[in-house]
Amino acid sequence: MRQTNETLPAVGEKGKVIEMAMAETSQFVTFYYGKHFFGLPIDDVIEINRMLDVTPVPMAPDYVSGVVNLRGQILTAINLAKRIGLATTEASDDDGKEHNNVIMGNREEPVSLLVESIGDVMTIPNDEIEPPPDMIEGINLKYVNQVCKLDSKLLIILDSKALEKAENNKNN
Amino acid sequence: MGMEDDILKDFLAESKENLELLDQQFVELEQDPENEELIKSIFRTIHTIKGTSGFFGFTTLEGIAHFAEDILSKLRDGLIKVNEDITTMLLQSVDYIKAILAELEANGKEPVDTEYLDFIVDLRNFSERIAKEASGSPEEAQGEEAEEKTQEPAEAEQAKDTKETDKSEKEKEPAEDKEAQKAKDEKKGTGKNPESEKSSEKPKAAKKKPAARKPAPSATHLTETHVRIDVHLLDQLMTLAGELVLSRNRLTQLANQLNDPEFLTANQRMSLVVTELQEQIMKTRMQPIGNVFNKFPRIVRDLAKTAEKKVQLRIEGAETELDRSIIESIKDPLTHMVRNSIDHGIEPPDIRVQQEKPPVGTLTMKAYHEGGQVIIEIVDDGAGIDPNKLRKKAVDKGIITEEQAEALSDREALMLIFQPGFSTAEKVTNISGRGVGMDVVKTNIEKLGGTVELMSEVGVGTTIKIKIPLTLAIIPALIVTSQGQRYAIPQVNLVELVHLNPNLMERDVQRIGNSEFYRLRGEILPLIRLRNVLRLEEEQQQESVDEGMNIVVLNAGGHLFGLVVDSISDSEEIVVKPLGSHLKHIPVFAGTTLMGDGRVALILDVVGITSSAAAGDDAMKHGTVVSTKAVEDDHQFLLLCTIGQEEYFALPLALVNRLDKIKATDLEFVGGKEVIQYRGHSMPVIRLENYLPISPLPEQDEYHLIVFHMNHKDIAFLVSQIDDSLDLAIDVEEGTFKQEGILGSAIIKDRTTLFLDVYQIISMHDPDFFTQEELIANVPARILLAEDSTFYRNLLSSYLTGAGYEVVATEDGQKAWETFQSDHFDLVITDIEMPRMNGFELSRKIRDEGGNKDIPIIAVTSLQGEENRQRGLEAGIDDYQAKLDRDQVLRAAANLLGEKAMETAA
Repeated sequence: MRQTNETLPAVGEKGKVIEMAMAETSQFVTFYYGKHFFGLPIDDVIEINRMLDVTPVPMAPDYVSGVVNLRGQILTAINLAKRIGLATTEASDDDGKEHNNVIMGNREEPVSLLVESIGDVMTIPNDEIEPPPDMIEGINLKYVNQVCKLDSKLLIILDSKALEKAENNKNN
Repeated sequence: MGMEDDILKDFLAESKENLELLDQQFVELEQDPENEELIKSIFRTIHTIKGTSGFFGFTTLEGIAHFAEDILSKLRDGLIKVNEDITTMLLQSVDYIKAILAELEANGKEPVDTEYLDFIVDLRNFSERIAKEASGSPEEAQGEEAEEKTQEPAEAEQAKDTKETDKSEKEKEPAEDKEAQKAKDEKKGTGKNPESEKSSEKPKAAKKKPAARKPAPSATHLTETHVRIDVHLLDQLMTLAGELVLSRNRLTQLANQLNDPEFLTANQRMSLVVTELQEQIMKTRMQPIGNVFNKFPRIVRDLAKTAEKKVQLRIEGAETELDRSIIESIKDPLTHMVRNSIDHGIEPPDIRVQQEKPPVGTLTMKAYHEGGQVIIEIVDDGAGIDPNKLRKKAVDKGIITEEQAEALSDREALMLIFQPGFSTAEKVTNISGRGVGMDVVKTNIEKLGGTVELMSEVGVGTTIKIKIPLTLAIIPALIVTSQGQRYAIPQVNLVELVHLNPNLMERDVQRIGNSEFYRLRGEILPLIRLRNVLRLEEEQQQESVDEGMNIVVLNAGGHLFGLVVDSISDSEEIVVKPLGSHLKHIPVFAGTTLMGDGRVALILDVVGITSSAAAGDDAMKHGTVVSTKAVEDDHQFLLLCTIGQEEYFALPLALVNRLDKIKATDLEFVGGKEVIQYRGHSMPVIRLENYLPISPLPEQDEYHLIVFHMNHKDIAFLVSQIDDSLDLAIDVEEGTFKQEGILGSAIIKDRTTLFLDVYQIISMHDPDFFTQEELIANVPARILLAEDSTFYRNLLSSYLTGAGYEVVATEDGQKAWETFQSDHFDLVITDIEMPRMNGFELSRKIRDEGGNKDIPIIAVTSLQGEENRQRGLEAGIDDYQAKLDRDQVLRAAANLLGEKAMETAA
């Protein structure tokens, strides 16, 4: 916001300014899990879908809640909390809970990320985005790309590639 | 033939398209005679037709195309210019070509009609004339050319003459002949006085003949019967059809719920259409297997030549259709197997002659539909595969140990060929042994959901049988549920469904150690609970007892097991969708599918289930039982039990009727014998220590009971504990513990275990137990017994002796044959699989060499198979019995001896 204000006086360059401002911001789809606030770059998200029926898959890795049917395409549903190692109090016993689906990843084989609730799409200036701190309580940092300090909370920007990457042949 | 048919089809389809274009191009050319591109394009089309027809040997077609091309080449090179005459002539050529193509399409042959030959002549002359005009020096050019060319038409003429003889159009013949004759004369004349003849000839060709001919060619419409379509489009249609099927399924469910008759009818109608649509779209993916088989005549010829063998290939069922994607993937495996057959199977001609086989080997490739699958067989009449050679090789290569090799049945030994790193060729030739083993073949076929079987008889030949599904995209499946979730089981693996009510369940399901078994018509079927395989939490084990049990009997690559599920619903056509990368590695699932209600169901992988059950820690015991559940000789399920702390016993599970637990207080003494009230009867109970020198059964609150049902009576052994059941190749030592009631001993699970002679012990307890008129020897008879397994040898002689026969036991066929020659016997009982000489050979020897047609021969096996029975009958075996079935063996013996006695008496 500050940026735009500063450059406002130069009327003749208005179009250019907006362009610049756009180039210097990024948009994120945000969502909540427990007390944490997460975001994914909007380009990594295909669609948001409420309440898809999750069919459990026995013997699946712990973080996989099951599979969902998205218009004939069958997607793997990944529980965000379990995937990123959120403290067990938040992740446990939530299999019965209703989740929202953030359909994300590459178009060949998207995955459905199960989150508690969906937030807004936020536009954030790039220079407010920082690398993640050395530690975020209860979260495996390998899934975190960046963070952004907002007024009241921390937006944790997730790494969609890490989230969707299969860890095959693990014992389960 | 088949391959040519295909190329021909392609050629026709392609030519038709091009010819339609030609008509248009010629017209354009007339408007724009200078257009080089156009001329080139026309030239190419005609050139292609010429080339292809030459390949097929269509001389007429080639002739027309050749001269048309000639004219076109001059146009192309700018030597002459397009004029009306040329265009007319060329268009006529196109018409004739079309007419010939139409004929080819209809009859696969060129039309036999002089009309065409006449036209060739006209065309040739026309072309020549043009050439002269173009060159400007007629004399020179024509001298050579004419001489050269007169030869060709002359040949054509001859061909025509021979063809004409069998032609039906009799009225036409004379006229045609005359014309042809005239043409011939003209041709000859051209060389002599070109100028005059040429000029007079041309109008004739242009005026007279077209009038006569044109109707014929122009009447033939080349109908468009083939359209080229992008394969992806077909795949997409397929997917959409799949989705449509799913929606239909959903609608059907709704319709059934709503129960509105109109809706039901409408839905039914749509259902039919959708099914039809799906089938039709499926068909677009179907291709005859001939497309692959066609490649083989050539392959076989080349291979046979390289290997210096003579092979005749027979192809059957080339029209059998299956999914295009499958056809593509089976080509390489088939090639490899054919290669093997020629290289290793079929012998060189001289050896074949020595063996009184025809010098030319026969290789048959056969395809047919069977039960929704396609069966492909590759049969050769070559040397066959010697299982012993394979055993040896496998041991040499370290694939299996010597003990394992010996334990393998011949059939299993043959399957060794599919082991990785196995190649039977003693020397690697340039045909086989290119690094692709039969294991790859097997893997590739299994990837398609198929199976491979190999049958071979030394000296007679080898048959490889491949079973593959028709298509991979949509499969019929059975829907079952476990813990509220639905799962789909591919119908291919399904054998039968069994529902047990609680009563039956109590009677027929037995729990041994951690494994459960069900007695399915006398066979022991290992049970696997789906919820255990999937590691679902056990809710209440008891709950299912009230409702009975649902068993889905499945075939996992040759052996059967029962999958216990909560409930069984419908059978449905399902569309297979792959699992995501996070879930792919789970062996028990083959994929996913969408159910009618839009929810996802997982497709079970039947082979994966057995391996998964074997891999799981606590399920280990199920696994060993399942995966080694062998159907061959000398393997038996054994029941292991203990008395006290250190007496270990084993007995064949097949003898056991059921297992039970009783309280010590239930035991009663009646008339000096211990009995128990059991199912409304008083059943004698045997304590083993009374008959065997073992420590007595310690006092326990509860005892385990092993119940036998023999001779229509129940009797039971009392033991401390039932430990486990194992599938083992029984290999007992008889020395150390040889005594009545014990068949021998073996080390099982690091413990010395005694094998109980159940019959003997029961007879010791109650000498009259088995008394049954018909089973007792009413005439003293000598029986020759051939059996390589000590365990069975002792068991059989024990009960045969018990029945009053005199038994001479030998340990293999060879020994038996020697004994037979030096002694007199009334009956022979022989095992089938034995070292040195097997039961079939023994039987044949007795019948043929021994010249003894009368002596009854009974073959005993651990399991019977129809195949063996057939072979046995051919070898002169009178009867087949299971070794463990004492009553049946004795009955058969008594019957056969009785018959013989009657015969001799008469």
